[in-house]
Amino acid sequence: MLVRSDRLGDLEVDEEKILTFADGLVGFPADTRYVMVEIEDGEAYRWLQSVDDPALSFLTVIPWHFFPDYEPEIDTVTQQELGLKEAVDAIVLCVVTVREGGPAPVTANLLGPLVVNAATLQGRQIVLADSGYPARAALVGA
Amino acid sequence: MLVLSRRANQSIVIGNDVVVTVLEVRGDHVRLGIQAPRSVTVHREEVFAEIQRENRSAAASAKDVLGVLPRPPR
Repeated sequence: MLVRSDRLGDLEVDEEKILTFADGLVGFPADTRYVMVEIEDGEAYRWLQSVDDPALSFLTVIPWHFFPDYEPEIDTVTQQELGLKEAVDAIVLCVVTVREGGPAPVTANLLGPLVVNAATLQGRQIVLADSGYPARAALVGA
Repeated sequence: MLVLSRRANQSIVIGNDVVVTVLEVRGDHVRLGIQAPRSVTVHREEVFAEIQRENRSAAASAKDVLGVLPRPPR
């Protein structure tokens, strides 16, 4: 199917590869369907393009490329809601914010990761409230 | 905003399925117990607001970001 993206242009997408966040992302409850797009020369990153809103997209990062010790504890309710049995069933992505300048222009939200069941592609944004993980963790390059 | 007063061990019912109980009042701290269906998430407001803020900033991120993305350290 065709997914329009203001950022990426028209995308031809396999419907079976569409991710569904039943509650959307925090602050975006109505946008539940996203397609994950890889980035050329940026294997640590993925675009999440909303299927229903061409203007809505999120840059995300696979957190372990920058934070190898990151251990998001997926609560039992989320595990049940998403049908996760082991960590290996889950895709974890952290939303990336790019700001103009400043000491840390590119940050990842480790406090509210996106967790997706790799088989069903059902996902949720979870909140690791007492983890101490920051909502703005600077991505520092090689 | 609906404003109600409760003492310890009194509750509020929201909709049909959410019950908030005041468990303990101690000084300026209130301990709340929340019963809600599994599908309803419950968070401290300031944490929720922080996630929401970050999501909104992220969605509004600059168009041309690819040039500034850090490469992972090896």
